[in-house]
Amino acid sequence: MSAADQIAAAESGLLEIRGLVKHFGGVTAVNALNMTVRAGDIHALIGPNGSGKTTTLNVISALYRADGGSIRFDGAELVRRPAHAIAQMGIARTFQNIRLFGDLTVRENVMIGRHVRTRVGFVGALLPGGATAREERETRERALELLAFVGLERTAGASARSLPYGDQRRVEIARALASEPRLLLLDEPAAGMNPAETDALVALLRTIRDKGTTLLLIEHDMNLVMSVSDRVTVLNFGQHIAEGPPADIARNPDVITAYLGGTLDAA
Amino acid sequence: MQFDPVANMQLLVSGLAFGSIYALVALGFVLIYNAVGVVNFAQGEFVMFPSYVAVSFILPAVTVFGTVVHWQLPIVGVYVLVLVLMTGFGLLFNRIAYHPLRDRGWMPVVISTIGVSIFLRNAAQLIWGSQPIVMPSLFAVDTISVGPLHIRPQDLLIIAVTAVLIAFQFFLFERTTLGKQMRATAQDRATARLVGVRVGRIVAITFVYSALLGTISGLLVAPLFTVTKEMGALIALKAFAASIVGGFGSIPGAIIGGLTIGVIETFGGFYISSAYVDAIAFIILISVLLVRPQGLFGERVAEKA
Repeated sequence: MSAADQIAAAESGLLEIRGLVKHFGGVTAVNALNMTVRAGDIHALIGPNGSGKTTTLNVISALYRADGGSIRFDGAELVRRPAHAIAQMGIARTFQNIRLFGDLTVRENVMIGRHVRTRVGFVGALLPGGATAREERETRERALELLAFVGLERTAGASARSLPYGDQRRVEIARALASEPRLLLLDEPAAGMNPAETDALVALLRTIRDKGTTLLLIEHDMNLVMSVSDRVTVLNFGQHIAEGPPADIARNPDVITAYLGGTLDAA
Repeated sequence: MQFDPVANMQLLVSGLAFGSIYALVALGFVLIYNAVGVVNFAQGEFVMFPSYVAVSFILPAVTVFGTVVHWQLPIVGVYVLVLVLMTGFGLLFNRIAYHPLRDRGWMPVVISTIGVSIFLRNAAQLIWGSQPIVMPSLFAVDTISVGPLHIRPQDLLIIAVTAVLIAFQFFLFERTTLGKQMRATAQDRATARLVGVRVGRIVAITFVYSALLGTISGLLVAPLFTVTKEMGALIALKAFAASIVGGFGSIPGAIIGGLTIGVIETFGGFYISSAYVDAIAFIILISVLLVRPQGLFGERVAEKA
């Protein structure tokens, strides 16, 4: 990327979605969506059920292919790139329905996430000692650091499937962080968490942001959205209806009528 | 018939050797099944074809396409050559038989592997004719004496190589990034892709690895049989039974299932009737399916053919 492009990217945001369209048969899940995620923000994507939030995340991470529009990440077009390439570019994610590798241990799950940053190829991986062993050791140590970071170092050797739900969510976050993403996509990270776990999650998300990762999260828990977000985008019927700081969003009459049907003051 | 510990010990060694071959081929089945969700019906040809290629280079005179050739290269060099060729074959198989059909569901892929199997068997007949060919062994003697036992060194080689391969497999899956990616791909391809695993490459590696397991089985077992175009089919059928006995999809199951079938059929052939040797694997299969349908190590019933 040229210097001019880099400046343009810095001015316009880390992730630029323009005119994004995704259909499922006759249903338009995302309809000409525009949104900008600025570098260094915790950006929340909210909206009623079926408004296209998860679809948007799935298109960004190339689980689905966009039917139209553009997604630029740090100036580079993402649409039509394969999922593994997007992961390698520095976008990691977690899932609404947890998608850990259940038969692998917690530590192995995190190590897999690290893989996109390791270099030893197929032949190297089969040669004993040397680079492979060193890389494996570094990956293992890094995985343990990340598990400590999310508070799960004690369960590193357990199979991922055996963990409680809230812990599995944190393993997913650790796995995503293992790839050293510049943008972390979180799909309902607080789902199924109790208030104490949610508070811990808020602190964790802030720490992740402060370490330099931009976050884009979908969340239904308005307490969490209002307390943690730097910016909020509101979707309805696959379209962007408002974007701004959480306090403005809470006062936006379009949002209140179209989405909440009431007031956010209670939240 | 009286109980003879020496004979039983010899039978055990022989049984473990055959069982090792079934285990290696069963591993090939299971690894491909786990990676792409399809049984590879050409797995037996992964055993047969390299055996033919190897004998062509090893023997003093072999008829290839109706012409007698006299390559007669050193055995170990030929083994290396055949492994290299079969690496290319595994890549080609992935590219031609699997990759174009990967998004069409499992049935077209199954048909495609059956097609490759038929093609290779007929190609073998066309190239090498229908006469069985005897593959020489690495060893000058047929049997060696270990105390009172008379053991075929080839059996010991088979067991040793299999043990090394199983240790390698364990190392690969538990201790390397590549192995973890293979396991992650086996469990959930979509998620593996989303965390940055190049799933297409992992699948290609899996096909190559399975082809090499078949090749090694063929090179090891051919000196005990003859090389024929049907040699792979029977081994693959028993290996398939072994993987079901072990619990389809389970790697330890494939190994234990293979060894179990090898040992029981060898004893059965000796104590019951050598005419029924080939039926014994399937009697074991039916018995296990009646008592424990998910197999010895199975957690779930296989959903696909």
